[in-house]
Amino acid sequence: MTTARSHEMNFLAPSVVRTIGTRSLVIGLIFAVLAIVGAFVRPGDFFHAYLLGFMDWLGVTLGALAFLMVRHVTGGTWGMVIQRIQIAAMRCLPLMMVLFIPILFGLPHLYIWARPLDTVADKHLREHLQEITQTYLNPHGFFIRAVIYFAIWAVLVFFLSKWSAEHDHPPMRDTSARTKQLSAPGLVIFALSIGFATIDWMMSITPGWISTMYPLIILIGELMSAMAFCIVIESILSRYEPMSTMLKPSFAHDHGKWTLAFVMVWAYFSFSQLLIMWAGNLPEEITYYYRRFNGGWGYVGLFLVVFQFAVPFCLLLSRPLKRDIRRLAFLAAWIMVMRWVDLYFMIEPNYSETFRLTWLDIVVAVAMGGLWLAFFCRNLASRPLLAAYDIHAQKVLEPVHGGH
Amino acid sequence: MTQLLEEVETGRKRAPVIEPGHSFSTVTAKISDVVLKRPLSIGWLAGVMFCFGFVNLLLLAVGYLFIKGTGIWGITIPIGWGFAIVNFVWWIGIGHAGTLISAILMLLRQTWRNSINRFAEAMTLFAVACAGLFPLIHTGRPWVAYWMFPYPNTMGVWPQFRSPLIWDVFAVSTYATTSLLFWFVGLIPDLATLRDRATNIWVKRAYGALAMGWRGSARHWSRYETAYLLLAGLATPLVLSVHTVVSFDFAVGIVPGWHTTIFPPYFVAGAIYSGFAMVLMLAIPIRSIYGLKDFITERHLENSAKVMLATGLIVGYGYAMEAFMGWYGGNRYDAFLLWNRLHGPYATWYYSLLICNIFIPQVLWIRKFRTQPVLLFLVSTVVLVGMWLERFIIVVVSLHRDFLNSSWGMYYPTKWDWFTYTGTLGLFLFCMFFFMRILPSISIFEMRTLLPESKVKAE
Repeated sequence: MTTARSHEMNFLAPSVVRTIGTRSLVIGLIFAVLAIVGAFVRPGDFFHAYLLGFMDWLGVTLGALAFLMVRHVTGGTWGMVIQRIQIAAMRCLPLMMVLFIPILFGLPHLYIWARPLDTVADKHLREHLQEITQTYLNPHGFFIRAVIYFAIWAVLVFFLSKWSAEHDHPPMRDTSARTKQLSAPGLVIFALSIGFATIDWMMSITPGWISTMYPLIILIGELMSAMAFCIVIESILSRYEPMSTMLKPSFAHDHGKWTLAFVMVWAYFSFSQLLIMWAGNLPEEITYYYRRFNGGWGYVGLFLVVFQFAVPFCLLLSRPLKRDIRRLAFLAAWIMVMRWVDLYFMIEPNYSETFRLTWLDIVVAVAMGGLWLAFFCRNLASRPLLAAYDIHAQKVLEPVHGGH
Repeated sequence: MTQLLEEVETGRKRAPVIEPGHSFSTVTAKISDVVLKRPLSIGWLAGVMFCFGFVNLLLLAVGYLFIKGTGIWGITIPIGWGFAIVNFVWWIGIGHAGTLISAILMLLRQTWRNSINRFAEAMTLFAVACAGLFPLIHTGRPWVAYWMFPYPNTMGVWPQFRSPLIWDVFAVSTYATTSLLFWFVGLIPDLATLRDRATNIWVKRAYGALAMGWRGSARHWSRYETAYLLLAGLATPLVLSVHTVVSFDFAVGIVPGWHTTIFPPYFVAGAIYSGFAMVLMLAIPIRSIYGLKDFITERHLENSAKVMLATGLIVGYGYAMEAFMGWYGGNRYDAFLLWNRLHGPYATWYYSLLICNIFIPQVLWIRKFRTQPVLLFLVSTVVLVGMWLERFIIVVVSLHRDFLNSSWGMYYPTKWDWFTYTGTLGLFLFCMFFFMRILPSISIFEMRTLLPESKVKAE
């Protein structure tokens, strides 16, 4: 019955997707022009803002990839309804590759190890840099490693996207064994690659400062961004067919639960890192927090504690809120904003001892977001919103039983 | 997170969570008969006596310790923690699988847990008991252990609240209490079943007293469900918190090898890793000896093996990051720690650890190793050894060579260390043997809910 039903329905994305895409492109281009002006006027600020925006939108892209693989490994109907949103998001990877190129030109603005070492005043740091730049932290290594990371992600995105596209045509198939075989080792390789990418792109801003937890905080943040993004998009789409039929309150509930889990794990990781460093109080480590507790940065930290953890946590405990996609979407949008604040708190204090927010921080993030969204909407519109010929997708179309 | 692990939708046919052909009465009979009808076997008696021998060894070791003090152990300065803490962390880690299976998998609606939760919870309790013993006797003066609790006293002495060792006192005692309650509440309906089925009047009375007047009325069930769900909710954070606090015991110190920020999640993953290994080591013989293969099916073995593989990979990620950061960070003490692990006097232990914890368990990617009981049993044994070695490396190897060469030392466990450790192994198995015979080792009523008859359609 449901099989027949899936054939009758039209799963193409509603026209609103293209509208959003066009508007995002216009906004993205306008802000991109401003950003380019900024790049010439204030190159230092521009590159700091650029890294921030890049990491923020890369997070949504890679988070979607990781989340899709988690779904493939563990199964569950909750993932079917957002699968095509995740795929459209991860297919923005080519855009992120292009957007990575300017970072290569801004290395000296971003990383102390890319500057001439005799400009480094701190003797210990200079000695450390003399060693580490020989072997690891140098522009060539940085570039080669980035190519490797992107290649790994691209392979995963390519196959998962291709296999999903096969479900748009008859016959009805079950390819879950194949996707699972790729996703299980894929997750392992992904975790390692994102770990090392985080070390290269973010942790190496302060060479000599290390935290083994740091890559995991980034990883969980990416998953959180991707989940929040999917909730926002499914909420917009739920006003139109076919999402209005596909999205059941129980799915929204599950997505809300995932968000709650990520919020908690983010807090758990972040707090553990803080506690261990605070208790150890070692000069090479505590400087990270010393900066972030002083010079006005402490308020940003407090803001994160309250609005990235406490408030979303309390709200997400509510069952009615999780089952109401409209209200949940507001919270998800807020979490996406907070992801930017979190990355801002991780990146910017490295460059300024006192609180500093430039217009470029916002302009670049919006420009990148606009372009990213335009690309995403193009991806989303290019395929149906449900893989109608995937045998597991049929559960999405089953009518809701009872009150549940 | 509906059906998170449940609907692993592969093309091939998967083993069911309960073999076909069972009805309410056969499920009840099969599980309760192990307790009520099965005669005492020579095998069981021999097993109990063997373990009882080790219990006596433990008593001897602890008795002698009370007379002579901790000097009988191999602990020295700088290695003041030694076996006692290695074993504490190992045992408490093993205990984690019970709570994970009973609470978290229940909240995730993983019905496959129904046949392994009961004995996994029992295992948790016995493991926590063994774990708790070690720090207690390691204090040197266990008769004043109550000083660790904050209570108003004329001496005006309070515990150091900023020390994770004190957090441990709270974390572990909360964990033990909640696990016990959770286990007991889950047992009540089954105790009533045993009461109803027992023929001997004294057995009937004993189970009757423990069943606390359970009659199985709708009201009883409704309250039971609420209580069980609440306890599951309470127990869930404990799975994370207990081993997180244990990891803080190390990580807040500045000793290289201890002070690393990844420790909390890495310890939790390690705990679940070893916990599932122990679950499998117990489940595999139990299902074959007591004829419970219909209830503990290949599916359970495979799912547990997958959890083991996943947590093992997280542990491996922890090793990789720690080693990389040791090199990348440029801190000479961290770099030396890495060198010392690979080339120092305990290098063999470290390589054994890598083999047991990282390399051998990779065979679990192959389905045969996840479903073949003998192979899986062997892999689980290797993992348990590996996880013990990991704690040894963390405790001993980090302490034996820290910042100053003048304070370096070596650690040699004495026979009393080994007696105590093997004694707790005996105590653990001794308790398991009794548990198998006097309580239903599989939850009878939860198994009944898996039968097709219990699936009542709303429409």
